[in-house]
Amino acid sequence: MEELVSLRGIIKHFPGVIANDNVSFTLRKGEIHALLGENGAGKTTLMNILYGLYRPDIGEIYVEGRKVEINSPKDAITLGIGMVHQNFKLIPSHTVLENIILGLKKSGLVIKSRKIGEEIKKLAESYGWRINPNAYVWQLTAGEKQQVELLKILYRDAKILILDEPTSVLTPQECRILLQALRRMAKEGKGIIFITHKLDEVFAISDRVTVMRKGRVLVTKETSETNMSELAQYMVGRPVIFTIEKKESRPSGEAITIKNLKAFNDKGVLALKDVNLKVMKNEIVGIIGVTGNGQQELVEVIAGLRKASGGSLIVDGVNIINSSPEKIIELGIAYIPPEPLRYGIAPNLTVLDNLFMKAYRYKPYSNGVIVNWKKIYNKAEELIREFQIVPENPYAKARSLSGGNLQRLILARELSGLIGEKIPRLIVAAYPTKGLDVGATEFVHKTLIEYSRKGSGILFVSEDIEEALMISDRVAVMHDGKIVRVFRPGEVDIDKIGLMMAGVEIAFK
Amino acid sequence: MKLAKTIIMPHSVKIKRRLHISRKLSILTTFSTLVLAFGVSGIFFAMIGLNPLDVYSYMVGVYTSPTLLLKALERAIPIGLAALGLSIAFRMNFWNIGAEGQMYMGMFASTGIVLLHAYYDLIPDYLVLLLMILASFVTGGLWCGLPAFLKAKMRVNEILTTLMMNYVAMYFVDFLIYGPWRDPKGYGFPLSIPFPEYAKLTMIFGEFAYSGLLLLCIAVALAVVILRYTKLGFELKIVGEGIDIARYAGIRITKVITLGGILSGGIAGLGGLAIVSGIIGRLRPRASPGYGYTAIIVILLSALNPWLVVPVSIFFGGIFVAGDILQATLKIPGAAVEMHQALIFLFIVVGEFLKRYKITITREVVR
Ligand SMILES: Nc1ncnc2c1ncn2[C@@H]1O[C@H](COP(=O)(O)OP(=O)(O)OP(=O)(O)O)[C@@H](O)[C@H]1O
Ligand SMILES: [Mg+2]
Repeated sequence: MEELVSLRGIIKHFPGVIANDNVSFTLRKGEIHALLGENGAGKTTLMNILYGLYRPDIGEIYVEGRKVEINSPKDAITLGIGMVHQNFKLIPSHTVLENIILGLKKSGLVIKSRKIGEEIKKLAESYGWRINPNAYVWQLTAGEKQQVELLKILYRDAKILILDEPTSVLTPQECRILLQALRRMAKEGKGIIFITHKLDEVFAISDRVTVMRKGRVLVTKETSETNMSELAQYMVGRPVIFTIEKKESRPSGEAITIKNLKAFNDKGVLALKDVNLKVMKNEIVGIIGVTGNGQQELVEVIAGLRKASGGSLIVDGVNIINSSPEKIIELGIAYIPPEPLRYGIAPNLTVLDNLFMKAYRYKPYSNGVIVNWKKIYNKAEELIREFQIVPENPYAKARSLSGGNLQRLILARELSGLIGEKIPRLIVAAYPTKGLDVGATEFVHKTLIEYSRKGSGILFVSEDIEEALMISDRVAVMHDGKIVRVFRPGEVDIDKIGLMMAGVEIAFK
Repeated sequence: MKLAKTIIMPHSVKIKRRLHISRKLSILTTFSTLVLAFGVSGIFFAMIGLNPLDVYSYMVGVYTSPTLLLKALERAIPIGLAALGLSIAFRMNFWNIGAEGQMYMGMFASTGIVLLHAYYDLIPDYLVLLLMILASFVTGGLWCGLPAFLKAKMRVNEILTTLMMNYVAMYFVDFLIYGPWRDPKGYGFPLSIPFPEYAKLTMIFGEFAYSGLLLLCIAVALAVVILRYTKLGFELKIVGEGIDIARYAGIRITKVITLGGILSGGIAGLGGLAIVSGIIGRLRPRASPGYGYTAIIVILLSALNPWLVVPVSIFFGGIFVAGDILQATLKIPGAAVEMHQALIFLFIVVGEFLKRYKITITREVVR
């Protein structure tokens, strides 16, 4: 079988870490090759090397049998390599078409944008996508953004596609659409490298799978010759439990009561139409629903980051609707945001700064004027250890952390009760396991359950029905800006849940 | 490979932000841009019939002669104070171009206090200087606090407002000094009354350069404490990373930006005080030859580090002194001197750009 790409003996150091330690990797024509590995294993780094963003310290790259030097993404594009990054790189204020044209090589003085627009539309349709080339990127859902990223690459006739955790931002439906499209692309003879943390996707789509750990390749196998628990064991180095033991919850008092909540989204459309929900202390309430049905707006309103246009949020008998984020933080409401890189992390600041960007102003870390950096440093070291953040240096820039480690950083900040030295009263967690490896996902689940049993109320937003059913005490289905039904896991079977999420009215018993 | 199909594109220029700026590169760039600046202005001096080496030796002389160095130090004080103010504004990504105007407001306030005291005599003499310090800080602070507030509340672009307010402040001082504040015994010159001794910044050592240096060092220490150790300092840093993230962190953005603006302008206002009550001893029109703009270069060269502001301002103070000397001794026209200074500034700005961005020119082969 023809080899499209062969990476040989790649070594890449960053200050203090070996991100890639003598890695060899091949991609065949027409193959979907899954790349697995725990957070910080070096997957993104390896792909960035192939895409010309980094130079390897040592190692050779062969494309279609020829040895090449890839010094920049431009070189990579010329060689037919395209990459969709872990975090999208589209320009939100530009249209789809503009974003695609921007990436093109010199296309003559006059850019025939109408013609290109037509071609893009056709290309999209051939994969079953509906994209309006003149829509602005900020108006798109995550799934559509991803399609644009892919179109950008496909339009340039790339034959080697790199997708870095493409499904971590997608809904199950969007994910199905993507996988279908990828299969077609592979049939057309393209080679696809598919990074993921979700083992079921590996089996759903890939032909071969490679597992990395701590910068090295542990194994490359035909997917048909392995199984889930073997791969999980490779990734984490120990057997992974896929189900979680959970004690019965004993709800005690209300953590928050949401009444008739209404709010608009960024496009000025009423996204929360009438949300009613109660979260008790000692309880995990899972919110499931197709993305874009108001989940993001709901969590933002609770966090004080979006104005509500009506309704109330009651905490201890007081309506806190439209309070400042500061006030809400002080009430002990922790918030794990859905788009961590936009809202949750300052990439140019250090891990320490990021850990304490909320707690710095409260006792014992500040006396009201002066910040006690020594105390903060000690606590930061403790948190880094507890939440296993790599690198362990509190002064490392957040931008140098791998995707999963950034998520751990946010968890450490939000969950560890830095403010007022008590555990949060309410934890609003929007997609907290996004981008986490198997081991870390397990860690988050355990942590959330642990906090809920210690007294926190948890509002857990997920796109993964199984995950939500597994860890929630109650599940709320959200559709079209409303909570359409609340039930306990096990009370309703999966098919019916799927129908409810799609907005079909179902009589309860 | 078929050569016929190979297109060679001769020039493709790429500008990329450097992720990491090494100290060696930084020093090397600054040094070579300075050498280049002197080289180019040397050519101009030669063209107007001067020996560039003479000019250079006068310039170097500023830093080797104790008396001239003291003069450089004097001028370094308003420049340094304005730059310290900017270190606070720039930390929160607030592009305050208005240090010049904030200094004029500082001069206005200090002179106002002197005049008030001279005509109404409301407070004891020894409190006057203290009141001047306070007044120049507050007035300069408000002059920057207003654009800061407008930015925080209504997203009004601060570059425009601060820049425009420079002209307002400068012409306002012009108006006062050509009008109501003109010294009646001044033979019609546009000058205020000379400041009495107790209103001058010479009291401690008798020499402004020394007491001014003390003032500057205190201000540096203050800036360091604010930026590194206070809540506000950390808040400025987070706001500088973006409004979204600051909101998320629960920071009161309007408060932080306005307060940062007031501090920034207030410290520049003190620079204004240093000009009238330290260097000149009275108010006159155009009392600042652009110290507030020089301060922008100073703080960028200092990489926002307050301690570096002291030596860097002294260097730039020296350039101003050298300009005066060249005019006086070599009879170089003022315009040529100013052009020489502008060249130095321009080259430094280019050097700073080169430090932060990597420019590569490649010949690409497209198959
Ligand atoms: N620019 C950088 N500077 C310094 N260290 C870096 C940089 N990029 C990556 N690293 C380090 O290299 C290691 C590998 O990171 P990489 O992003 O490749 O991991 P990953 O396998 O993609 O993980 P994840 O699943 O969390 O995305 C990590 O320890 C990370 O901190
Ligand atoms: Mg990664």
